[in-house]
Order: sequence, then structure tokens, then C-alpha cells
Amino acid sequence: MPEKVKTEKVKTSAGRHLSKVVGDAYMDLHAKAAQGAFVVWIAINVPAELFLGFENVVYGVPESHAALNAAKGVGVLQCEKAERLGYSMDLCSYARIDIGSVSDGGKDSPTFGLPKPHLLVSDNNNCSLLVKWFDVHHRRIGVPHFVIDVPFCYEPQKEKDRKYIIQQFKDLIRTIEEMSGQKFDMDKALAAVSNTSEGIRHWKRFLSFAEHQPSGITAFDSFVQMAPFLVARGTSQFVDHYKLLTDETEQRVTEGIFPVPDEKYRLFWDNIAPWHQLRNMSGGLAKFGANIVGATYTLCIGTVEGSFDLFDYDGGDALEYCARTQNCYICPHGMKLRGKSMQTVVEKLNIDGIVFASNRSCKPYSVTQLDQQKLMTDQFGVPSVMIDVDHADARKYSEESTFTRLEALLEQIEAKRAA
Amino acid sequence: MKIDITKKLEQLKKDGRKILGCFPLYPPLELFYAMDLVPVVLWGLRGSVPDTAESDRLLQNYTCSVARHLTEFVLSEDSGLLDGLFMYNACDTLRNLPEIIEKGLEKNGRSLPLIKVHIPMVLPAQTDASAYFKNEIHHLVKELEERFDVSFSKDKFVEAVKKFKHVRNLMVRAENRVTQGRLSFLNFADAIHECWFSTVEEQIRILESLIEGLSGEVEFSTDNNTRHGVILSGILPPPTSVINAIESSGLRVVGNDIASLGRSYACMPEISEDPGAYFLDFYYQHFPCPTLLYTGDRRTTSLFGLMEKTGASGVIFVGEKFCEYEYFEFPHLVQQLKDKGIQTLEIEIAIEDDAQTSAHDSRISAFAELLKSNA
Repeated sequence: MPEKVKTEKVKTSAGRHLSKVVGDAYMDLHAKAAQGAFVVWIAINVPAELFLGFENVVYGVPESHAALNAAKGVGVLQCEKAERLGYSMDLCSYARIDIGSVSDGGKDSPTFGLPKPHLLVSDNNNCSLLVKWFDVHHRRIGVPHFVIDVPFCYEPQKEKDRKYIIQQFKDLIRTIEEMSGQKFDMDKALAAVSNTSEGIRHWKRFLSFAEHQPSGITAFDSFVQMAPFLVARGTSQFVDHYKLLTDETEQRVTEGIFPVPDEKYRLFWDNIAPWHQLRNMSGGLAKFGANIVGATYTLCIGTVEGSFDLFDYDGGDALEYCARTQNCYICPHGMKLRGKSMQTVVEKLNIDGIVFASNRSCKPYSVTQLDQQKLMTDQFGVPSVMIDVDHADARKYSEESTFTRLEALLEQIEAKRAA
Repeated sequence: MKIDITKKLEQLKKDGRKILGCFPLYPPLELFYAMDLVPVVLWGLRGSVPDTAESDRLLQNYTCSVARHLTEFVLSEDSGLLDGLFMYNACDTLRNLPEIIEKGLEKNGRSLPLIKVHIPMVLPAQTDASAYFKNEIHHLVKELEERFDVSFSKDKFVEAVKKFKHVRNLMVRAENRVTQGRLSFLNFADAIHECWFSTVEEQIRILESLIEGLSGEVEFSTDNNTRHGVILSGILPPPTSVINAIESSGLRVVGNDIASLGRSYACMPEISEDPGAYFLDFYYQHFPCPTLLYTGDRRTTSLFGLMEKTGASGVIFVGEKFCEYEYFEFPHLVQQLKDKGIQTLEIEIAIEDDAQTSAHDSRISAFAELLKSNA
């Protein structure tokens, strides 16, 4: 394990803007809720653009709120509250953080929790247990729970499944109209989808700076910069933020400013970000000249299953586009599709080694990793390592053991180079 | 469990039957049977594999024992007993198993047809998924016809539906005998488990024989009245040693909310010659189970109904380690029962517990004492 690295913390303009976007979004959410807005809690993959089709509907994302708690160092505290209520330590740490936070009205949360919802909207594409998790709130808070059922993709999404998803979006819109008394405006939703799409184009350009050698970004930057996807999708701030981020990154690359200037090892990450370890892990790796330059977690945004290429919105049917991208995140599609996209990007980014993060809190992301590792290492000759993490519960993570394995990966890479 | 599953499958094979291994728990059995296939539900395979050596290479140790035993069984079953696999969407681990198993088989130079169907999980009050579902069943019929060179007939389907209805009625009657203390829960659970690996005709024979008392011995008839009745709830019945510990502590299992038992046979859909309509009814009227996401709101009511029917004084939740579905619901159910003055006990069964469950004994004894003192 490397000695603790003192990383100089120079906040970029995009970094400062990120804090503002996230801070404003939570403030705005609380303020609007207090003024009588219709509040929805949604799973990450629920198309938030639909809510922008209403005059006064706001949304909070419990998973994102949980990640923020973990990143700010209160994840374990919140998990323990849920465990005291009887929720098993084996359950997803996002769920435990969220249930713990709700149990005492958002005490200890960096955002004072989320305002009380009128409606819960979960889906089962990232994971089915999200439905069970939202059911916990449904019972404890006593509000309706709308479930969006997205068929898992072993092959590219089928039209019959897409129609089924669209039907559910329409039912969701109708439900909100009935509950809130507000009328849905498709043009507004369409404008929101256009904004999201434009922001995603900037996002993909931002991620493409990983192709530069040395890389213009680290995957850790991209993890942190995902936040606007969860609090500001569909808005003009969303577009502005990702344009600022991308332009600034381009400028830094032009000026020869790189996060790991003496980059010797270009690594790739597979799983959710280890929110409680971002700084330690990036700093620790940088000391070895290693940079995790890309991640399946961030590359899948704005794509469709089986490819990390941009799936652009053509300005047509907004519901069709939202439905088509429902399986793009890694968990809602199968091993063959995952392998296909990973193989392509590993070549594109000139990756030396892959870090498979086996995540106890995310079985849908993790259970195929043993096969995936064999595929990438045995068939495509890319050295790899499996490390144990939990995305938000720091008690289930060992820095010593992780760095022992990461160092072994770097040795594998050296051995391959020497051969 | 006492049955030798491999032997059962060998027997079916000798009879010239095509065997379809199914998971998870509630596949459309009647349809398969009507199409001359014998469906076997690959669940509760704990005692049927010596270890999990093969599956440990493919699945992390934080996946549940059901997935690990199932994978092990299919991969190590190398005599070609299964002719295909069928699965529908359930939990986050199981939905990835078809590809994991496919890869594992491929590595061993084998392959099996894998048939997958999506059961809608939307709440019926929110979205009408009947057209989507019927289309899924329609495609399933076509796929079975193409892959197995079999054909669908309405008459055979109705005949199969009637037989399975009879089987489910027999299972309920056997369960009633358990409630009455005339049949031990252990013998009952073993018989139901054996049914999962038998033809429907054999299932009828096994259950009739059990009910007529030919194979189900009454183990504690002398002091039934002094024993406190408990309900077991979970995705699998606990290991034999735990059932023995329950019974030797002065408790009596009088009912079950077990996925592979009561939840499987409680639903009796109307007879129909249209498989789409029949299975829509089957899934939407199904006894609540955490794996059927739309049944969540009915869960407490059904558990209270079971308590009332059986006169049980407590519930033992049997948690299968790493089964998130069950674990998300336990705290709510425990609280609901507690609010009604009903005592509960939670025990956890992990894969390592195959050999060692004595750690639960003292907790079960203490629970029995608690029920006695509250009587």
C-alpha cells in the first residue's frame, strides 16, 4: 500500500460549478416542496425529463442522496440507523443509508434529507430490489408506489418490450396528472429530453479525453461529475455544466495539464464508484503512476446496451427515446452485451489492466464479473484483478487488501510488457 | 431432504420423457406438461450436490445458496438428464444465471436450450399488462414447439390444468393435516419436494398416499394440544435439523408461508383453455411472494389470514442469507405482527449451515419458552 499521498486540491471552475449545481438543486427541491410542489422520489433510471413536462413537479433521487451521504462520510452512520430498525447488513448500502436517513427525518444528511414525497416511482431495470426498497417507504410513509417494469436484455432491446415500457410511461404521466391535478405538456418534456441529449453530447466528449495519453481525466473525476444527471437532467443548467466541464478539460489538455502526468498504467474500472474511497484510491494509484481512466459506470450513460457509443436523440418521440435507453446502464443487460462494449472500449482507451470491483451491495453489477474477467483476461489478454468493495458502506472495505491486489495488477502489467 | 433428485430424473428419463429444468419457483407447469415435457423446479437443491466447487468459480460467495446450488446442480449434472432450461425474471442474481450457466456448460463442451420469459411485474391497478403477458405466453408456446418438436392442444392443456388443480388441492389437504397435528411438517415438506421432481400423475400418487397415512407418520400426536403452533415463513423450508429443533422444543409447525411450499400451491386459477388467460390469472391472483413484486401489499393480510386459519401463536422467519427480497420485508412484517401481540423469531440459514445448525437451537428453545410464558 502506498504512503498517504498529499493531493493538492485545486478546484477547477467545473468543480466549483458542480458544487453550485448540486447545492442549488437540493435547495430548490426543498424550497419548492415547501411551497406546495408535487414531490416524487424516483429510482436513478426513471426518466426525470417526464417530470419537467409538468408545471410544478419536483423529484428527489434516494440513490443519489445515499451516494452523497457516503461521499461526505456519513454513510456508515446512516446504515447503522437502518440496521437498528432490523434491516440486514447484507442489504444494499444505498438502501440502508436511505432508510436510515428517512427514519429520523434527514438528520445527519448533508442535504437535510429529501422532502416528503407524494409519490414513489421505482423500476426494476438496474435492480429489482429497488422495488422492495421503495416498498419500505411506501409502507412507512404511506404514499403510493408506482413500479416501472423494464424487461432485462440478453439481446438488444426488443420492440415489444419498448412498447410495454412506453405504455408504462404513459400510465405514470396519467397517474401524476390525477394525483397532482396538473396537466402534462409533451412539448416541455420534449424540450427537457433535448436538453439532456445536448448535455450528454458534452459528457461523451468529456469522457473522450481519456483517449489522450496521458489521460486528460480520471474515472474518479467522472464519478463525481455524474451528479447533475441525478439532480438537474433536462434543464439548461445541465447543458451549461457539461459544456463548461468539457471546455475546461479540453483547455487543460491543450495546456498539458493532466491528473496523472507521469501516467505509466492506464486502468479501467468495472462497477459503481466506491464513494467513500475516491480520494484515497485515486491518490494511492497516482503514486504508482496509475490512473483509472475509464469506467463502465460512467461510459454507459447516453448509450444503448452493448455499446458505449453515444445514442443520440433525433428530436422525435421523447417517450420512445426514453424507453429505448432504459437498458443502457450496465445492470439491465446481460453478460454478452457487457462483454461486447467492454472489449471495444478497452481497445479504444488503450487499457493496460482492468479493476473488477466485486461489490457486495450490488449483485446485479457483480455476479457476472467472474466470467467477464475470464473473457477479458483469457480471451483478450488484458491483465485484471478482482477487488472487494462496497459502494457506500466503508466497513466492508479494506484498503490494505485492495492495494495489495492493485499492486499485483501493476506487476502483471509489467510482466506482460517484459514478455 | 430425503429424496435423490438424480435418481428421480433418471427414472423420468427412462420413461422417455423430456425434462425441462425450471427456475425460479412458479413456472407455467401446466403448459409444459400439456406439451409432453416434464417440468422440474430447480429449487431446494441443498442436499443434491456435494459442494459448490463448480459454481464457486462463477458466482461470488455473497450470492444466495439457492443460486449456488442450482448452478452447481446444472453444471455437474453431466449425464444429459435435462433437455432444456426455462427461467422467468425474478431476483437480480437469478436473472443473470442463464448466461452464467450457458457459459459454464460451454466450458464443459455442453449446451442446453435456454428459454426465457418476462413475467410483468407492474401493479395491475397502474398498468394493464395483459396483452404483453399473453404475447409472452404465445411466443413461449411457439418456442417450445420449435425447440422440442412438440405441439400445443387446447384439450391437453385443459387436462393438465385439471390435474394440477387436483394436485394443489391435495397439497392443501396435506397441509391441513399438518395444521391438525396429524402429519409432521417434515414429512409433508419432503413429500412436496419430491413432487417437484415427479410427473403430475406421480405427484397425485405421492400426495394421496401421504394423506391416507401410508407414508406420513404422526410424530407427536400425544401432546398436540399442549404444543404452541408456529408458522414458518421464508423462501425455503429450514434444514431438517432446524425443523427437529423446533419440534423438540415443544413447538409445532402448523402452517407455512414458504415459497417452495404454501406460496406455490395456494393459488387455484379458473380452468381455461387459453394459456394466456389462465396464467394471467395464475400470476396476478398468486399467493403473495416477495419475488412477485406486485403482491407486496397483500403480504401482511395473507400472513394474518394464515395465523387465523391455523391458530398459530408465533411466526418463525427463516431467512436465506443474501436473499434481499425476503430481508427487505422482514422488519415490516415483524412490526405488523408485534403490533397484534404476535411473537416472532428470525433465524438465518447460510450455505455453510448445511452441516451445522445447532447455533439456532438455543434461540428456538428460548422462543418456545416465550410463547409458553405468554400463553
